[in-house]
Amino acid sequence: MTTVRSTETTPVVPIPSGPARILTAAGATGTAASAFLAWTWTSGFPGDLTVYGYPGGLQWLTLAGALITLLLTLASYHLPGLRWTSPSGGNNGILYAALGAAATTWFTLIAISAELGGLANLEPGGWAAGATSLITLLGALGLPLDRHPRGAGQGITRYLGLRLAKVERPLPPVRELPSPIEVLLIVVAFATGLYAITFGLDTDYGELFTAYLLLAGFTVAALTKSGLVTRLRALAVKHRTVTTGAAFAAAAAFPFTQSSDQYTSVATNILIFATVALGLNIVVGLAGLLDLGYVAFLGVGAYAAALVSGSPASPIHVHFPFWAAMLTGAAVSIVFGVLIGAPTLRLRGDYLAIVTLGFGEIFRITMNNLNGTTGPKVTNGANGIPRIPDLVSPGFTIRGLHIPAFDFGRKHSIGGLELGRFSNYYLLMLLVTAFVVLVFARVGNSRIGRAWIAIREDETAAEAMGINGFRLKLLAFALGACMAGLAGTVQAHVSYTVTPDQYTFAEALPPNSAFLLAAVILGGMGTISGPLVGATLLFLIPKKLEFLSDYQLLAFGLALIVLMRVRPEGLIPNRRRQLEFHEADIPDQAASPETALTKAGA
Amino acid sequence: MNELPQQLANGLILGALYGLVAIGYTMVYGIVQLINFAHGEIFMVGGFGALTAYLALPGGTTLWLAVPLMLAAGITVSTLVAVGAERFAYRPLRGAPRLAPLITAIGLSIVLQQLVFSFYPDAKKAKVFPKIPGDAFQVLGMTIQRSDLFLIVAAPVCMIILGWFVNRTRSGRAMQATSQDPDTAKLMGIDTDRIIVLAFAIGAAFAAVAAVAYGLRTGQVDFRMGFILGLKAFTAAVLGGIGNIYGAMVGGLVLGLAEGLATAYIQHLPGMHLFGGGAWKDVWAFVLLIVVLLARPQGLLGERVADRA
Repeated sequence: MTTVRSTETTPVVPIPSGPARILTAAGATGTAASAFLAWTWTSGFPGDLTVYGYPGGLQWLTLAGALITLLLTLASYHLPGLRWTSPSGGNNGILYAALGAAATTWFTLIAISAELGGLANLEPGGWAAGATSLITLLGALGLPLDRHPRGAGQGITRYLGLRLAKVERPLPPVRELPSPIEVLLIVVAFATGLYAITFGLDTDYGELFTAYLLLAGFTVAALTKSGLVTRLRALAVKHRTVTTGAAFAAAAAFPFTQSSDQYTSVATNILIFATVALGLNIVVGLAGLLDLGYVAFLGVGAYAAALVSGSPASPIHVHFPFWAAMLTGAAVSIVFGVLIGAPTLRLRGDYLAIVTLGFGEIFRITMNNLNGTTGPKVTNGANGIPRIPDLVSPGFTIRGLHIPAFDFGRKHSIGGLELGRFSNYYLLMLLVTAFVVLVFARVGNSRIGRAWIAIREDETAAEAMGINGFRLKLLAFALGACMAGLAGTVQAHVSYTVTPDQYTFAEALPPNSAFLLAAVILGGMGTISGPLVGATLLFLIPKKLEFLSDYQLLAFGLALIVLMRVRPEGLIPNRRRQLEFHEADIPDQAASPETALTKAGA
Repeated sequence: MNELPQQLANGLILGALYGLVAIGYTMVYGIVQLINFAHGEIFMVGGFGALTAYLALPGGTTLWLAVPLMLAAGITVSTLVAVGAERFAYRPLRGAPRLAPLITAIGLSIVLQQLVFSFYPDAKKAKVFPKIPGDAFQVLGMTIQRSDLFLIVAAPVCMIILGWFVNRTRSGRAMQATSQDPDTAKLMGIDTDRIIVLAFAIGAAFAAVAAVAYGLRTGQVDFRMGFILGLKAFTAAVLGGIGNIYGAMVGGLVLGLAEGLATAYIQHLPGMHLFGGGAWKDVWAFVLLIVVLLARPQGLLGERVADRA
């Protein structure tokens, strides 16, 4: 086993590693078993945890957490057939998995006692689960872990005395697999991912979602430490087309897994939010222009689409077909992007931030005022433009093949499965998202994208290299505006109504400029998957925390601060940026050719 | 046309309020290049601190005694909050990507608003703040409310104290040095961490003075009041040239005047009769900002600095 200098491989709790490993495995088995017992006496707690012999609700999460811990522990015995789960051979993954299981279990126990009023509401099964999960944790703390030596630690684990190191252990060389099997592995990974995300979306009470989030966070950390994530990422890079295809197939499969439209509407809004965040990532992440009023471009697109939608409240009495409405929204957004960008992009740095912030406010106030009394009558003021009709794609005939008209507002049945209104819009929005992803990927890897990155890093140097800074910045600004406008046209039709209050700087619910920026930075600047993940989390967390009622936003604000503290580079960082910010954590570059290589390769 | 003096007075009073809050933005930005979005909330917290002191005093206390106590309480609360935020939220992020502290600031601003909303008694609606009783003064055709006297006295006093502090004291000069070049300042033996804390604290104290003035002027405080005022104050800071403390006050006064005059006179311009009045004043404030930045990208009093972005 190789150790990297400046870290040591020692247990936190001084017990010999043999017994510690047995303790971990036994504890995890016990926790898994106790998920089948009753944890409380009444079905007053959501999810019905009163049944012996069958887990319910939150118990499923405990079971999953315990099984993952068990799997990783057994893999550390080098059992044949399980080695793939833990290619790095380190024990930190086991600790994270055990933490996940314990956190989920104890969260459930605390929630039961808090909501039903006292510890007396716990049945022996609950106590057993709590105790065994702590035993697992104790065992995992007794395993040899990669840690910083005393006094050298950094990061949040220092405060707990854990001093866990963020080492990337060198992985053993991959065994070559036949290509179809690798593709199959990718498909399996995405199917698992789809299942996990669907589970999270479908959680119908806040406790379940919170526990889900806890477990998901710890599990991802555990699998990263075990090296499985690195392996999968290598596979994904090798078969990029398959991966992209599988990701979109998984996303497209989502409405077919839903029995009602309830969560599809949530998913549609997530897609809109995520697409706009990705558009903002062009502006902020690639070109490095801080835009604090970006949501206005979503609003411009939505208002443009609403005005030509044929809504009775619109002063322009036209009814554009669906493709023309989308093009109008995108075009008007580009015009506004250029109008705002042309004078202001000559300014540098943070002045741009305040001008865009100002533009965002001007947009909202203007939409509010164009109501006929404080200004010309265009937008109907604070009441917005209501009753926007559903999009209808007109029927047409190409070479004798007739394509019928498609009304997005009606139910359609595909292969025996009913797809409701939101499913239609979800699939349409997915196409828009795919388009934006394509634009982002193609432009980002082109000469233009590299020029943007050069401007972001050092504008003066970039201009010295012959880059026309102003023109490229304007291009980024206009392109970003176009993406947001496109999403806005769909949003106007999905939500039936556009009102000025949907497009504020900071509000309780997304999308708004602050949340969009948070999605980009939280997810990871300059990456494609980062803003998508960030937007999904930022949309779901406030929505699912509704059980906290008044404390929902408070919890959200705290989560933002804590997340920035723990991972300032974002959840899915650009490889190069991560290396910049964690150089201290990657010691000894000269001695280990592998790390030196990744740095150069990034 | 004899409403002009009144509009000027209103504009200047409002502008002084913006200027006091803008100083907090500009000092912090000048030293750590951070847009402290939570500063508006620090202003709001100061208002609630002052209100708490007022409510704790026995009924019938004369405002001559109450206002200084409220001021002290407001300054204490907002300074503590700002210093705590610096220590536990911003300082660990020094050296992190430039935008990470911005997200922390947005998170902090949500947290502070929600803490007041959830835990201050009855703060879900606007709380009544005392006003200075008595008739308004009539000076040179202007009507000036008695409550505004506080601000008329406090704003110049604050500026004089700040000017003395920055130019004449050791800490003030250390602050200037840190904002010019933090690394060299450190080499000269300046404890830059202490200077940063000081910048946060001074900004917070001024915000608290502004909050008391705001409360006295409008007769209420509200957990949301920091947002729009913070936005305006930040605009004022940029308008005056961010990083320059006198610029912040000048920017505030110009912004306040522009708002007052736009509200009154834009509608008299030909073809603009629909774009005047209070509904459009924020729009004109931002338009002014954009125009000024186009003509003078460094702000009214800012010096042209090397690109720091």
